[in-house]
Amino acid sequence: MEMSFNGEFEVATPRADTFALLVDPQKFIPVLPTYHSMSMKPGDADTAIVKVRVGIGKVRGIATTEMTLSEREAPLRASYTGKGKVMGSAYTMTTAFELQDSAGGGTLVKWHGTGCVYGKILSLAGGGIRSYAEREIKQVIDSLRDALSSRRHFEAVAAAAQTRPQPQAGLIESIANFFRRLFGGPEPAAPAAAAPQPQAAVAAAPAAATAKGYKDPLIPFKDIPQRIDVDGDGGKPWVGQRLRRKEDVRLVRGRGLFVDDEQAADMLHLGFVRSPYAHARIVGIDVSAAEALPGVVCTLTGAQVAAQTQPFMQMGEAPGSNLIDYGIATDRARYQGEPVVAIVAASAREVEDAAELIEVEYEVLAPNVSSEQALADSSILHDEVGSNRIFHGTWDHGDVDRAFAEADHIVKIGRLHHHRFSSTPIETAGAVVKWSQQGDIDVLCNTGLPAIAAQMIAPFLGVSTEQIRMRSYDVGGNFGTKTVTYPFVALTALASRLVGGRAVKWIETRSENLASFQGGERTFTDTEVALDKDGVITALRSRHLDDCGAYTRYEPLGCSIWSQVYCAMYKLRNLHIDFTQVVSNKPPCTPNRGYSRSQHLWFMDRVLDICAHELDIPAEQMRLRNYIQPQQFPYTTPNGNIYDSGDYPQMLNKALDLIDYSAWKEKQAQWRGQGRWIGIGIGSTLDSGTNNFGQSVYINAGSVFSGNNEAARVKVDLDGSVVVMLGSVPQGQGHETVAAQVVADVLQISPDMVKVRTGFDSHWNTFAGLSGTIASQFVVTGLSAVKGAVDKLKAELVRLAVFALQAGEEQLQFGVGETGPEVRVQGQPERAINYWMLSNLANSNTSTTPEHLRDINLNVKHIYKPNFEPLDAERKYGNQTLTYAAQIHIAVVEIDRQTFQPRILDYVVVDDCGVAINPKIVAGQVHGATCHGIGAALQEAFQFDDNGNMITSTFTDYAPITSMNMPPLQCAAIETPSPFSYNGAKGCGEGGGAPLHTLSAAVQDALYGEGVIVSESHNSPSILMQAVNKPNRAELVSVQSRQAKPAA
Amino acid sequence: MLEAIQPVSIEVTVNGHNYRRDIEPRLLLVEFIREELGLTGTHIGCDTSYCGACTILLDGKPIKSCTALAVQADGCEVTTVEGLEGEQQLHPLQAAFSEHHGLQCGYCTPGMLISAYSLLQENPSPSREEICKGIAGNLCRCTGYQNIIKAVDAAAKGGN
Repeated sequence: MEMSFNGEFEVATPRADTFALLVDPQKFIPVLPTYHSMSMKPGDADTAIVKVRVGIGKVRGIATTEMTLSEREAPLRASYTGKGKVMGSAYTMTTAFELQDSAGGGTLVKWHGTGCVYGKILSLAGGGIRSYAEREIKQVIDSLRDALSSRRHFEAVAAAAQTRPQPQAGLIESIANFFRRLFGGPEPAAPAAAAPQPQAAVAAAPAAATAKGYKDPLIPFKDIPQRIDVDGDGGKPWVGQRLRRKEDVRLVRGRGLFVDDEQAADMLHLGFVRSPYAHARIVGIDVSAAEALPGVVCTLTGAQVAAQTQPFMQMGEAPGSNLIDYGIATDRARYQGEPVVAIVAASAREVEDAAELIEVEYEVLAPNVSSEQALADSSILHDEVGSNRIFHGTWDHGDVDRAFAEADHIVKIGRLHHHRFSSTPIETAGAVVKWSQQGDIDVLCNTGLPAIAAQMIAPFLGVSTEQIRMRSYDVGGNFGTKTVTYPFVALTALASRLVGGRAVKWIETRSENLASFQGGERTFTDTEVALDKDGVITALRSRHLDDCGAYTRYEPLGCSIWSQVYCAMYKLRNLHIDFTQVVSNKPPCTPNRGYSRSQHLWFMDRVLDICAHELDIPAEQMRLRNYIQPQQFPYTTPNGNIYDSGDYPQMLNKALDLIDYSAWKEKQAQWRGQGRWIGIGIGSTLDSGTNNFGQSVYINAGSVFSGNNEAARVKVDLDGSVVVMLGSVPQGQGHETVAAQVVADVLQISPDMVKVRTGFDSHWNTFAGLSGTIASQFVVTGLSAVKGAVDKLKAELVRLAVFALQAGEEQLQFGVGETGPEVRVQGQPERAINYWMLSNLANSNTSTTPEHLRDINLNVKHIYKPNFEPLDAERKYGNQTLTYAAQIHIAVVEIDRQTFQPRILDYVVVDDCGVAINPKIVAGQVHGATCHGIGAALQEAFQFDDNGNMITSTFTDYAPITSMNMPPLQCAAIETPSPFSYNGAKGCGEGGGAPLHTLSAAVQDALYGEGVIVSESHNSPSILMQAVNKPNRAELVSVQSRQAKPAA
Repeated sequence: MLEAIQPVSIEVTVNGHNYRRDIEPRLLLVEFIREELGLTGTHIGCDTSYCGACTILLDGKPIKSCTALAVQADGCEVTTVEGLEGEQQLHPLQAAFSEHHGLQCGYCTPGMLISAYSLLQENPSPSREEICKGIAGNLCRCTGYQNIIKAVDAAAKGGN
């Protein structure tokens, strides 16, 4: 495209002086103002090299123009010819000046400029070029006139070495502006963001950040060297590196945004009056005094809720699914702490004032406190169910009877009990909900499973899921416990509607949290174990009774989930398990780290250790004989699960080495001789990740959920920024960081060039029906979605670059150039185009986009769906989970003979989470899961009196583990890559509850001599005192042997 | 019926800025900091002084601001997590927490940082046991404390 412009102006400067300045770049360059966005240096004698920064945000272009004095005839005429390249295109420009003496003693300057632009700039900048050029040429000429009119330049030349004049719009700056505006770039004052700056610009940047030695804390990854160019240097992939997290900077500065931090104009607060009884009929409610308080807007009883809503959907089958749940008691309270009246007031304090004035009359009913009590059905919680039994199913695989008939040893074990506890995130559950006048419901909350929550809330409120905008930002921990906050989020939404659409905030107190979300409790009875002569377990029979509390809010899903780890890490093929779930007058259960599997894995390790002790087989030998062997992977379990990969013997040997097992054994023998209670325990466990929701057919043959899915979106924004949106709900697992690592590797850029949006937002349209952060899955589901999306994005970038650079696809290379992320022709760095220009081509200059590229907008979504097949509900057979991370822990414990206080003397952890995407984050997950397990094993338990009063209703009573109770951990890892995930990773968020198994084993090892079999997962000093004072071995365990006991 | 409560006027210096407010006398200090001043870095995790998410410095001493009334801070100097960082530079403890992965969800982190800061003020080179004691009043549910201890140790030793 050719353009030409001309005109004339007059200046007061004599012709000779005007000419002298005009023709000598060496003279005028030093006195030109320096701008942040432009640099200029003298070239050869008559040449100036001008670099102009164009672009906005992080992605910039540099137009390099070589201006050469091509013609001079003193003092009559001079011409400059410029040619330059920008982002794979070229342009030439010529400006000719003719000088004449003017009537006033000055100079008349006639000018004529031509320009020609080649290549793909035309399609990028399109028809806007001429008008831009015209405007900019005018500015160039105007500023030149101003400059030549003044003697300032001549004076300044002499002083140039010492001083620099104040910036002003001069010739070169005008040229700079020309290009800047041509490409829609920033004004000169725009900040530089993270892109590298030309040297001269850096020198002149006002109060440059580095000049004072301070670092801008808002720029993450500042200490990590950026891999600017990976050409042939074998730059290490970002995946696998121990990167600091992108999330950290806002969080260490106290600038996260947690639900309770949210403020809205005219916001109201919701709180509950809760039942003081575990089981009681509501006889009457008087809210009149409360409603008369000035700050109170309204109250809402359960009956009023029920009149306006539909009960929450139930996941199970009838009759269990007949259970009616409104999230608030309607006619009967079924656990202590159940909401009975909701209060909406101007402040949380006024909610509390009102709560004191509400009078509820109750008729106390007989509570079902223990699971066994509930099973007896003497007092039924939900009349519509007709029984407290919510679920019953039988798992029967292999030939159990035959295995028992052929067994060399049969060990019978009495009641074992896995206790209630919770990982109690420090942030309680909450929501801020606004039901807008337009009918949309904006929900900011901290649930971990927003897509499922929306599917629960919408029918309750009688709206479409589409109307509900589910959002989260920072979430202060979850560990599964916030999975079922939906009843209270829904009630908050209802309240917002009732108060005319004002925003309503609901934030639990700690006591409310403890009384609302508890981890699962299970009792194991009638256990029979068949073993061969070597102590290899060949069959198992058992009866399991799960207690889900008063309502089935995620249940009875847990009745299926445990069977993901049916045979644990062991090779037995014959199992018969009779599984029942009951409701009781205790708070409803939620998933909690290791959900449902942890209980079963604890049971399996208990069985193994009890058999080992009874048959005199060392614990490590017992495991090595029973483990599934490395060459058996992928291993299909008796119920059709496919364990992806693993090497349990290697892990165990590593753990034994790490703790120096033989040395501890010697010490143990020596100390035992002194009468000390020393135990060494091994715990082996699995962390099954990436659920197949199809296992819901085990609890409901008509289930409409199956498989799994997760979404991610990656886009190049209008300014070239790379942005990622996730369908997951991060709660501390570093999703922003690991997603950026994956994207950075694909695009060959640095993770700090990747913006990952925080939290979840259904309005990003980046979620799938099962989206969320549960079940150790992000590293597989989330990252597979991210990888799929960035691969699609890269393919679009390639298609655009092939066109823009006129190069073959095979010639293209991705990387980071001087102007940020770019695509270039290999070996020809000048043939490059950055993301901003590519985005411009796709999104902002579309009239010149060729037909075959018009589908591209560099904003792509990918949904990952693992290959799961439907499960066989009848046989309870099929693959329930994609990956199986493993953990082996060993602990040395001493129990004080006076106080019965168990003390951990040494603790090692060996994990196999497959390929670690960020080993620092994996280690953090391992530490956290270990800490939860140790806390639960030794000090954390929800306890109830005979009336169902929870006697651990505050943190002070519940006593979560602190730094004083947490031993130093020695950790090691092996990596057996999963063949089922694209990256070889396995989900590792839950940890499988290993410390519960390990510490139970250690305590039993310490007290076996006292006749104690550990039958509780919780081993506090009081429980241990009872155990020693009333030894249970004789009563709990019996062994029938056809053979002599095997040799150790 | 509750009687109307007369507001009380207090003046508190928070992170170097002076604030004067008329408040309900029952307002907790943590509520004052979060709701009146909008400094939401200080968090609430329990109601019984157990978790320490609300830890702040009151005249240089660490306290749990969920168990103090705002009126008790009248005339005092308060430092919250927002006051830790230097001129556009993280405090070495903040940097060390990030470097050593001493935080995951970040909810306990502000209180933990304040307690660690206070510990290092009193004892610039604490042993592992002393660090554990120093942060014993602050719960963290994510990290198992391992990397927090490492981070405090690193900050005390002058590196990240």
